[in-house]
Amino acid sequence: MRKKVMARVVSSVLVTALTVTMLTGCRFGFASDPDDPNEEEKKVPIDTSTDTFEYDASLNGTNITLLNTKAEIQVALEEMGAEYEKKSGVHVEVMPVSDDSPYTKMISLYNSGNPPTIAILDTTDVIALAEEKAVDLTDEKWIAEAEGYTTELNGKIYSFPLCIEGRGIIYNKAVIEKALGETFDPASVTTLDEFKALLDRLVDKGIEKPVSMAKEDWSLGAHHLQYIYETYDGTSTGAQEAVEEIKAGKLDLASYKRMSEFLDIFDVLKEYNVAKGDPLGADYDEMAIDLADGKTAFWFNGNWAWPNLSEAGAEETDEYGFLPYFMNNDKNDFANQMIQGAPSKQVMVDRQIATEKEQAAGKQFLSWMVYSEIGQQMMVKTCNIIPPFKNNPYEPADPLSRDLYEKVHEGKAFSASVIVPNDHWAVLGAAMQKYLAGRSDRDELIKSIQDYWAEQE
Amino acid sequence: MRNKNNGKDFCMFALPGMFCFFAVVIVPFIYGVYLTFTDWNGVAQVKNFVGFKNFGGVVKDGQFWTSLLLTFKYVIFVVIIVNVLAFAIAYLLTRGMKGENFFRAGFFTPNLIGGIVLGYIWQFVFSRVFVSIGESTGWKLFEVSWLSDPTNAFIALVVVSVWQLSGYMILIYVAGFMGLSEDVMEAASIDGASGFVKLKSIIMPLMMSSITICLFLTLSRAFMVYDVNLSLTAGAPYGTTEMAAMHVYEKAFTSRQFGVGQSEALILFIIVACISGIQVYLTKRQEVEA
Repeated sequence: MRKKVMARVVSSVLVTALTVTMLTGCRFGFASDPDDPNEEEKKVPIDTSTDTFEYDASLNGTNITLLNTKAEIQVALEEMGAEYEKKSGVHVEVMPVSDDSPYTKMISLYNSGNPPTIAILDTTDVIALAEEKAVDLTDEKWIAEAEGYTTELNGKIYSFPLCIEGRGIIYNKAVIEKALGETFDPASVTTLDEFKALLDRLVDKGIEKPVSMAKEDWSLGAHHLQYIYETYDGTSTGAQEAVEEIKAGKLDLASYKRMSEFLDIFDVLKEYNVAKGDPLGADYDEMAIDLADGKTAFWFNGNWAWPNLSEAGAEETDEYGFLPYFMNNDKNDFANQMIQGAPSKQVMVDRQIATEKEQAAGKQFLSWMVYSEIGQQMMVKTCNIIPPFKNNPYEPADPLSRDLYEKVHEGKAFSASVIVPNDHWAVLGAAMQKYLAGRSDRDELIKSIQDYWAEQE
Repeated sequence: MRNKNNGKDFCMFALPGMFCFFAVVIVPFIYGVYLTFTDWNGVAQVKNFVGFKNFGGVVKDGQFWTSLLLTFKYVIFVVIIVNVLAFAIAYLLTRGMKGENFFRAGFFTPNLIGGIVLGYIWQFVFSRVFVSIGESTGWKLFEVSWLSDPTNAFIALVVVSVWQLSGYMILIYVAGFMGLSEDVMEAASIDGASGFVKLKSIIMPLMMSSITICLFLTLSRAFMVYDVNLSLTAGAPYGTTEMAAMHVYEKAFTSRQFGVGQSEALILFIIVACISGIQVYLTKRQEVEA
């Protein structure tokens, strides 16, 4: 008897489980794994026939290490290192940072007495470490090529700007044109009201919620919120000034124009968010798929999102680009005309442990990336980044980087980048999440930003 | 009594273990305590002595106390549910039902999956599977991801921890039940004890040693939870599920306040040590010999 009951229970449990999986299983839709090792990387051929770079023969045989904190260019950097070794005789070992934050990794490497000769870091990390540990690069020749993109610390430059990254509202042109049934000129949208009108038209044409926005704290706390500092006057100096004034209590956020303007566009994005029902349940991978498939037409993100879009099926020939983060209805406001594009990763050379020779080899590697024809090509084609160096003639291949590249060259990008405490994105990202979820209002959000700054020394 | 031979035995058996214990636990611990009195940032070459300034920082860090309070709440839920559940299941699984070994293995399996992996699997379940079920059935409970609501995210954390921890505790309780003497149980039955009385007056006192171990393990594990916390919610939504251990890490490495983070870790250690110590002392007193 008992056996029978058991069997019945087991079989009914199995049936239920199977039915549930069948009903729902087909919809889960795993986004493909971005780190899939089986995936075939298509290689862009590098022309190595001409190279006018002068190598220092005395460095032949030196070994240097390079700490890479930009996971997506790991393979590319290894190739670059191999190419550099062929030419210069300097061996470059590229160390990836997998699970730690760049700064945590640097701490453990320094404490074990084995720091990398050169390290790719975030700007805040360089500021924390440079004066004690980095080689002064103020007199390097390439400084002249990267005007406006270097970071000064007490009058000295300790780091090499690796790439320009920009962010804005990414659009999928094909989707918009298909929905509207007419050609779409991104330049025709110039104000917040026009952007809103466009969104309304898209809603009328069947794209119910045309915007994707990430719920991640780094997106909300850094990429969204930092507009309030960066649009102060569009320069890094101005952004820093805004921060200092907020810190000193001289700039009242409640009446600061950019604060309310920022919230105005944020509210618009929030209103048309595809995940409006559960904004904090939004899935990052799905956003790329939605934009590529045409479920949405816009995604607030940066040019680093290309690998995700490409995974989701977007082709390099597709037309994607950036719209500015429209802050008001003034056509002449630079914030409505330009997108933000600033140097994002900084490279520093160690002077604490590295020998003179290793330091020289490291510095030569940096110059090689700027001046050698091979280095120039590999920066753009192999690493797929936008170098901030004016003398580099190569153009990026993917649509997002291409759009950013063009905007930078046409003067439609502002290079303000603000240096904020390292936990700014995490602490205020949480406050922004609360606002995004509709669990706090403007006053509460502004108060948490003010409280955060009041706590800083 | 301390003759030559004993000294040799000590060197052979205890010394290697003692050495390792000192090298990886005691020395770093003392060094850690020392660091709470300095302004070291993790990499600087000089460490300045700053006295109790870091502890002042801890007092001012409201988020730490919030996360500590949340941790207490979490510990209470997890410890009680895990132990009651494990005790009950272990009781059922030692009554000679069919397929006992299969069920024991089944309950134990979650414990073999690492906390990080487990967290990611459940994250998928809570934010995709549940939502899909909600969409197709219209059940309010599953309509939005559990992880986007502070209360539900906390419940999710408790559920996953209970699911992971109970298997191990079941194993310990099963061993305890197997060790119960048949004679005693039979004698109790003959004396007229049945059901609840038997459980209260015979089984519980005899099981006390298992309960001591299980309570200690669940208490310390729950207090120190980090992996599941990190991979399941990472503090989301908006930092409301950040437990003490995770807050300590964030303070030290994200906010880069090493001294304050280290002081918070020390305070957390003292709290856990005291509570576990009291618990072991109290439950040990209840243990009886059959």
